[in-house]
Parts: sequence; C-alpha cells; structure tokens
Amino acid sequence: MTGILIRRARQVALALGIAGCAAGGLPAQTAEPALPARLGAAARAQITALMDSARAAGLPTAPLAAKAAEGVLKGADDARIVDAVRSLSGALGQARAALGPVADASLLDAGASALRAGVTPAALHSLGEAGAAPAGAPALATALVTLVDFVAKGVPPALASQSIEQLLRLGAPESRFVTLRSEVEADIRDGQTPEAAVTTRVRTNVQQLGAPGAPHPPSPPPDAQPSGA
Amino acid sequence: MSEQRDDDELTGALERATRLLRDEPVPREAWRDAVVRAAEAGPSRGWTVRPWVAVAACAACMIAGAAIASLSLGIRPDRAGDIVAAENGIVRPSTLPVRFSVEAPGAVHVSIVGDFNGWNPSGLPLHRMPDGRTWEVDVGLTPGRYAYAFIVDGRLARDSSAAESGADDFGVPNSVVLVGGS
Repeated sequence: MTGILIRRARQVALALGIAGCAAGGLPAQTAEPALPARLGAAARAQITALMDSARAAGLPTAPLAAKAAEGVLKGADDARIVDAVRSLSGALGQARAALGPVADASLLDAGASALRAGVTPAALHSLGEAGAAPAGAPALATALVTLVDFVAKGVPPALASQSIEQLLRLGAPESRFVTLRSEVEADIRDGQTPEAAVTTRVRTNVQQLGAPGAPHPPSPPPDAQPSGA
Repeated sequence: MSEQRDDDELTGALERATRLLRDEPVPREAWRDAVVRAAEAGPSRGWTVRPWVAVAACAACMIAGAAIASLSLGIRPDRAGDIVAAENGIVRPSTLPVRFSVEAPGAVHVSIVGDFNGWNPSGLPLHRMPDGRTWEVDVGLTPGRYAYAFIVDGRLARDSSAAESGADDFGVPNSVVLVGGS
C-alpha cells in the first residue's frame, strides 16, 4: 500500500515538475519578437525565410526581427527593411565563420557589428583567435564592442582591430577594455584625434601588461618548437 | 528380503540425489541472456529522491517560472528607479542598471526602444519625474553596445546626451549606449 502511494506521489511530482519547468521556460522560448504587423506579405515572407535560414545555421534570430521592427518604426519601405535584415543575417553568418561554432549570441552580435563597421572577416577571425584565451569570451565580446566604438569615433578599422588584437593577445581582461574606452573618449574630448588617442592609450596599456610596444606575435604550435632548445 | 530391497532403493535414491546436487545446473538460455543484459546495463536507476523533495522542487520551479514570465511579459515598475531587466525579452543574470533620461516637458507619453527590447515601441515606458520635465527609466542590461531612441508622444527622438550610432540602415541615426564589463 505504501509502495503504491509512493509510486503515485512520484508520478504526480514528475507531472508537476514537467509543467513547472515548461512554464518557467516559456518566456525564453517566446522571447523572439514577432515581426511587425505593418510589414507587407511579400516582405514578411522574405524575412521569415531569412530567419528560418539563420535558425537552421544556428544563428540568433532575435536581432533580425529587431532590425525589421526598427525599420518599421523609422518608416522605411519594405524593400529597404528586407535589405537591412539580409545584410545583418549575412554579417551574423560571417561572424559565425570567423569566430567559430562556440561563439554565443552576444559574441556573434558583437562580431556582426564589427564586420558592419568595416572590420574584415580575416581580422575578425584573428581577433577571435586572440581572444580565445586566456581572458575568454566575455573579454572578447567587450573587446569587439570597444573596437566598434573606436571605428564609430573615426579610428580606421584596421588600426582599431590591430590595437584590440594586441591587447587580447596579452590577456587583457574585460575591465581593461572598458577603461580604455573611457580613456580614449576623454582624450578625444580634450582635442586629440581618435587615431592618436587610440595609438597612445593602447601603447600605454601594452606597457602596463608587461610587453614591448610591438605587436605580440601569436605563439607557434607546440610541434613547431625546436626540440633541442 | 523386503528390507534388503528397501535399502537398495534408498541407496539408489540417495545416489541419484547426490548426483543431481553435484551436477552443475544448466540455466535456460533465455534466463542467462536476461541476466547478462541486466549486468551490462549496470545498476538499476530508481528514484533516490524522496517524494516530498520532488514536490518541493517542482513547486520552486513553478514559482521561478511564474516570476520570469511576469517580468518578461510586461509587468513594469510603477516608479522610477526600479530596474527593468530586459534584453530582447529575455531576463539574464549579470545585468547592470543603466539610467535613460530625456527632457520632454509637455509630453504625455515617453518610451524607449532599442536593441535591448527588440525595438518594440510599447516596451519600456519612461516615468515622469517630480520636476515635470524629465522622464527616466532604469534598464538592466548585460555588457554590450546598444542602439536606441526615445519615442516622445509617438515621434522618434534621439538622446542628445548620448553618442550617435553613425551609419544606420534606415537613414535615421540612433543613440548608442555602451555597457561596460566587469
């Protein structure tokens, strides 16, 4: 009798547990914003297809829906909205290719922003390698955000990406990039050119991190080490 | 004679019984296979949690689910200073409070739209401050770069105190906020 009661209790607990977990998980599953009602049928179908492709490729789809909503809010026509969504989807795909399969949604978003700001896919790949260790993904995401900020301030994309990569290779933590952003912003306010501000501040940071001012070369693979050394 | 026969029968029976006991029993093939399968599968994984623990755990799970649902489905703070945790509708840990503020003296309704709420115009309303001119809201954001704009009585407005986003897909530049990491 006791055994039957315990078995029943287990069944009820299991059912309630499944229901509770489903209720808890619901917001995250429905978090993807719906496409705006104002979109025409053709544009809606095209954007839905783009989102389906992105989903199948393991890319985040929420930024695509958000881009469509932004376009509608700004009164853009459907063709322009579809173009913007397609462009963002392409950038996310390129970011995935450059940063690898382990990149999460926020990292892909930051990578796509960097690409759209003018950073080349090769440079992004190099940044991804530099940020793989030891500071890890949070530092890389913040580094990419800093990079996009520098480019938006007028720093040439090549200089900005080389500077950020140098710091990543030296293991600069996330906080270092946040400070660097503030320092560069202050220098620009004080009258320096964005390029000069970034160059000077990065050089200082490199020295503080204990490395020479020259770009830090990536470590050779273990099998390339001279065996007799 | 009769006793001798009884003795012989008894001796024979004892010998047969002894032989039977000495012989290695041959199990049925189906039984043997079942035992081998069970051994390969490892120990049985029955429930090791007491039922009341399971019930308590699922109740906690339901409460947590309801809390997350209420935050994500639009329950908003009724006063300025509360933090709205929203990033594309997903509540995430490690958010930092970011205060958005705009001066709109004669406005009736002010909200904020941006990358953090999927550009949903009804998503995040601002609250009128006691001075009657300033509208504010605090939003919990994870580290990153977010483009945004205010909607003042239905009209899109840039944040004049923030940096401009630069190139824009739709020819209407946004404001940008950078949320620092740790």
